Amino acid sequence: MDSVITITRPVKSDYEFDDEFESEDFKKEEGIVTPGELVTDDPVWMKGHGTYFVGDSLYSSVAGQVSRVNRLLSVVPLRGRYAPETGDHVVGRITEVGSKRWKVDIGGKQDAILMLGSVNLPGGVLRRKSELDELAMRSFLKEGDLLNAEVQSVYASGVASLHTRSLKYGKLRNGMFTKVPLGLIVKSKNHSWDMPGNVSTIVGVNGYIWLYQTNPTTAAPIGHMLGKTQAMVEGASKHTSYQPGQGSVLITRLEEESSWEIYSDKNDIINSRVRNNIARYYNVLQALSHSELGINQSRMIMGYEISLTYEEEPSDMNVKELICQEILRMETMRGGQ
Amino acid sequence: MYRPDLRSPHQFRLLEAKTGFLPGSNGSARIRMTDGGECIVSVKSKVVQRAQESNLIEVDVDISGLRDDSNLVTNIKYNLTTLLLQSFPFKCLHLTSRYSYKLYIDCIVISHASYPVTLVSLTTYLALKTTRLPLLVSETNDQDIEELPTFSDDWDDSKLLAHMSDIQFRPPILITIGVVGSNILLDPSTEEEQVLDNAIIAGFADDAVTTPIINMNLAYNSNNTQFKGLDNKAITESIALCNKYCGALFKALDDLIDQDEDDIDGSIF
Repeated sequence: MDSVITITRPVKSDYEFDDEFESEDFKKEEGIVTPGELVTDDPVWMKGHGTYFVGDSLYSSVAGQVSRVNRLLSVVPLRGRYAPETGDHVVGRITEVGSKRWKVDIGGKQDAILMLGSVNLPGGVLRRKSELDELAMRSFLKEGDLLNAEVQSVYASGVASLHTRSLKYGKLRNGMFTKVPLGLIVKSKNHSWDMPGNVSTIVGVNGYIWLYQTNPTTAAPIGHMLGKTQAMVEGASKHTSYQPGQGSVLITRLEEESSWEIYSDKNDIINSRVRNNIARYYNVLQALSHSELGINQSRMIMGYEISLTYEEEPSDMNVKELICQEILRMETMRGGQ
Repeated sequence: MYRPDLRSPHQFRLLEAKTGFLPGSNGSARIRMTDGGECIVSVKSKVVQRAQESNLIEVDVDISGLRDDSNLVTNIKYNLTTLLLQSFPFKCLHLTSRYSYKLYIDCIVISHASYPVTLVSLTTYLALKTTRLPLLVSETNDQDIEELPTFSDDWDDSKLLAHMSDIQFRPPILITIGVVGSNILLDPSTEEEQVLDNAIIAGFADDAVTTPIINMNLAYNSNNTQFKGLDNKAITESIALCNKYCGALFKALDDLIDQDEDDIDGSIF
């Protein structure tokens, strides 16, 4: 019988503040400040986010790292709410269905909005949204639904406007949602990864993460949809001829796939192996966020592979730390990627 | 069946606990959970005349951010009180034939992500188990001559509430059980709570499930559209699952108390 519960005593931290940490040198080097701390009294600096002026001196209004861009001095908070930026790939949850728009929780100060005009609707992409669509909004996305989207623009008030006008965006299913502190997410070109174990993930810049079963149609190269013989016949011409929008989704396929299925609430059948793997990745993410390690694809994969050696108690605090130590060890061995 | 964090159906979440750190109270305990939930319980005592008191235990629950008359707070307080009044070994509180200790149990939930009833009840267990009461030096028999009880001045003489009577002192606890489809889960996490068909809160005392056994919607702050009625088979199955595994909870909690006793530092950390 495996254990029913593990209860530990709090770990005493033997961490002592050295004088070194107090010194000015350290502050300059690492640039970590606390609220109300003097950042600079040099009046040449312009005040950016997370700072305020009193007289000529610039103080930090948040706990975080000082960032200097030319003359602009700002403090990037270590913890805090997500501040949307145009082009960010985010994961969100519908909180409200309004007239011609959905409200989406993306972990920011305000809910983002998703206009009816910025989603793909069943039955072809490029059609005008009619009143009927407006009435059927709740059948596309309703309260509590998860979706991934791109930030289209940010209004002056800080509200983000999202769009899902690509097949990689849209409603999420076949998986599981989790949250990590958003400081751990490293912005990169691509935020959706296919990983070993037939699991894919969408790591939103806002710290919301979706783990799901890899979709065989999107994971495979384009043309997979076609019958095998047909694909072979067309294969030759495919490589030679110019294809508009190559690398992304063809308009025709978009039309094919923009059926009602993209708004389906029903999960595919997920076998127990994949379920187990999704849960493993979930635990790896929890471990990474427990140890405050940045999250990227290689770390998730390494963590997954390491976790395979721990059959029991993957949620154990010790195992979490061991996994993270092992990840760091492997990274240094591979040359600190 | 796979749970989101790969626990087995009967496995509880990891806890971090500490006892005996509040100098002003007879017993205290704190439990922290990995999802950020934290609860502190303090037990204080008072000498009362038994005839004048309706009960010898008073529970107060405070959940940060919620009003005292909110549903969650009153429910937890009610469940905990009913459970203790029903299954607490009151015998060990008796001082003389007239006088008794009365316990005031104050629970503060500093933060919680999932339904905090098990958290509060396990912390209460730890606090009660580590409650120390001053040693009675006067006669225990005041049947004929009325006499106010007097106590030893020396706190080193104090006795653990657990050692006040010969019987094994084991306060009851409350267990949360989630039911979804044909699956029964002990200690559902926040994510699991949102999709449960139904949930059972059951008392557990003396190695068996006891009343109160109630069913409820744990996703109290969302409109859980999945919420369904409860199959009576699910009830018997959950009770069987608890009977089988929850005895281990007591063992784990008692082990922790032993460890804490070996290393008393009076610090909360």
